[in-house]
Amino acid sequence: MQLRWLIPLGAAAALPAYHAAYAVQYMSVEQAQRAAFAQADGFVDVPLTLTETQRRALDQAEAALSISAPKIWQARTGQKNLGWLIVDQVIGKAEAISYALALDNDGKIIALDVLEYRETHGAEIRLPAWRKQFVGKTAQDSLRLDSDIRNISGATLSCRHLTDGVRRLVQLYAQVLKPTSG
Amino acid sequence: MRAAFSIRPVAMAITLALALGPLPTAYAAGNDEAALRAEVAELRAQLIELKHEVQQMHAAPAAAAAAAATATTASTAPASAATLPANADAASLPGAAPMQSSILNTAASATTLYGYGEMNYTRPTKDKSATQADLARAVFGFIHAFDENTRIVSEFEWEHAVASASDQGEAEVEQLYIEHQLQPNYGLRAGLMLIPLGLLNEHHEPTNYYGVYRNFVETAIIPSTWREGGVSIYGNTEFGLNWSAGVTTGPDLSKWDPTSPEGRESPLGSIHQELQLAKARDPSVFAAANWQGIPGLTVGGGIFTGKIGQGQPGFLANHARLLLGEGHVRWQTGPFDLSALYTRGTISDTENLNLTFIGNPTPAPKAFWGGYVQGAWRAWEHDGAAIAPFVRYEEYNTAASYEAIPLGLGVDPLVTSKLWTAGVNYWLNPNVVFKADYQQFRSESDRNRFDLGIGFQF
Repeated sequence: MQLRWLIPLGAAAALPAYHAAYAVQYMSVEQAQRAAFAQADGFVDVPLTLTETQRRALDQAEAALSISAPKIWQARTGQKNLGWLIVDQVIGKAEAISYALALDNDGKIIALDVLEYRETHGAEIRLPAWRKQFVGKTAQDSLRLDSDIRNISGATLSCRHLTDGVRRLVQLYAQVLKPTSG
Repeated sequence: MRAAFSIRPVAMAITLALALGPLPTAYAAGNDEAALRAEVAELRAQLIELKHEVQQMHAAPAAAAAAAATATTASTAPASAATLPANADAASLPGAAPMQSSILNTAASATTLYGYGEMNYTRPTKDKSATQADLARAVFGFIHAFDENTRIVSEFEWEHAVASASDQGEAEVEQLYIEHQLQPNYGLRAGLMLIPLGLLNEHHEPTNYYGVYRNFVETAIIPSTWREGGVSIYGNTEFGLNWSAGVTTGPDLSKWDPTSPEGRESPLGSIHQELQLAKARDPSVFAAANWQGIPGLTVGGGIFTGKIGQGQPGFLANHARLLLGEGHVRWQTGPFDLSALYTRGTISDTENLNLTFIGNPTPAPKAFWGGYVQGAWRAWEHDGAAIAPFVRYEEYNTAASYEAIPLGLGVDPLVTSKLWTAGVNYWLNPNVVFKADYQQFRSESDRNRFDLGIGFQF
């Protein structure tokens, strides 16, 4: 008899799955991988587990990881490493923006792509001209809005937070990926 | 569903076997540390995937109640895995499976709450008795996603703290519309929405503009926060053009009050309807666009037009048409933020109406206009905090001309207001701002004032 109570409970637990969040998906991870590394024949998942030292190094570089652990792939052709593709999320104004950052083997930005966007305003960050500002930059660059990255009026929070996210990821490369990939 | 469940343990066993398979080989390689490290990394990846799979299996019975969505995910995942590059590490690639709402499995909520608020203190320099402190706006709103393409956006507002029969405050619905994304680059809106004219109306939160108060041009001429009920289509292009167009309600000229100064403060602000039992016989239309193809630059403009007599029986200006146009440019480069805006509006066929207003101080204007230039400099910035002094020069006239009235019985056009505003915005973080400014009018020095303000948004 008491098992009946489990039915509404189960239904309630299922509700979040049913109510998918509003999202415009512009690109899949696979498309981002192919776009940045056309010649790659494989993408190897690189699990991210930070040591305490690495964590501290990231903190010091003001690059503590954001709302979720990024997913990292190494682009390969045969045994040769072509670079890295990192997928991460930042909060725009209130909602998560999913983006993919492609780095070459020296940690230089090849491409920045917006994968998913959920806000009512600010989708302008998808503009190719805006994203192109990041290409060629490395952990040596300041990567700050209104300094070496220009703003888009009306999309300030999205621009700022995405810029901050990219800065964290290039630091992640410099502090963690580069040393361990030797 | 049931079949999928029974397959999963088998799949898991196979994956596990595959994962364990290479282990002895790697071990035999002995001293080859690099190879070993690679193997461990790969194993770890596979373990993480297995963990995800187990979590999914645990979640599955609960989700079974909602069934359909889960079923699609489960059935499409293997298909996409098959399309992956041949020698890719298959176990590591579910991340590249078709994304539902989140790539990184962060829980995405369907409902978001947001809000903003502003409190002001104003001290007129020529009349200190008029010094005033006000909780100007307290606003909250929610966005709820019904599905991946449809959501409702809302905004509710209290102005001046208390709204009751004996107080001057207002409680209002500022936005309430359904938005439906048809394609990634265009969609539709229906409901009460903001008119996309100017730099401020759609971005009216206090953290988004310089100065304690919104500029006069985008208050008196473009009556922010200006919203109308209707339908619109919006979109954006790869080369940086954002556009929108719609059919909406418009102002109601039949409620023009020639005895009140309100129409001189803001002609459209005094006859707006805000979808409050709005007279809607005559629809208005708008079109607006912004080009942002060069990072830091925004160039845009818009137009709003419609008949505003609303066909009221016996009303003498049923053919009156409002036409409001606007153009703006903003250039943000390094620490500098420069902008300029010009707007002009006309109302036609008001002659007969104004004849009935003879002897009153505020007839309906034929033309009104305003413009400003503004420069701000982000002088200091650290970790989201910033200090930006700014200066703005404005000119505006809410009644630059009237339709001719015979026998010299008409009212003279107003003198154009000209003012300087100089001040500073101090952002404690990007979402909390403290402001101070001084506003000096060139020929109406009794309006000079010193302002302090607090604003926030989340």
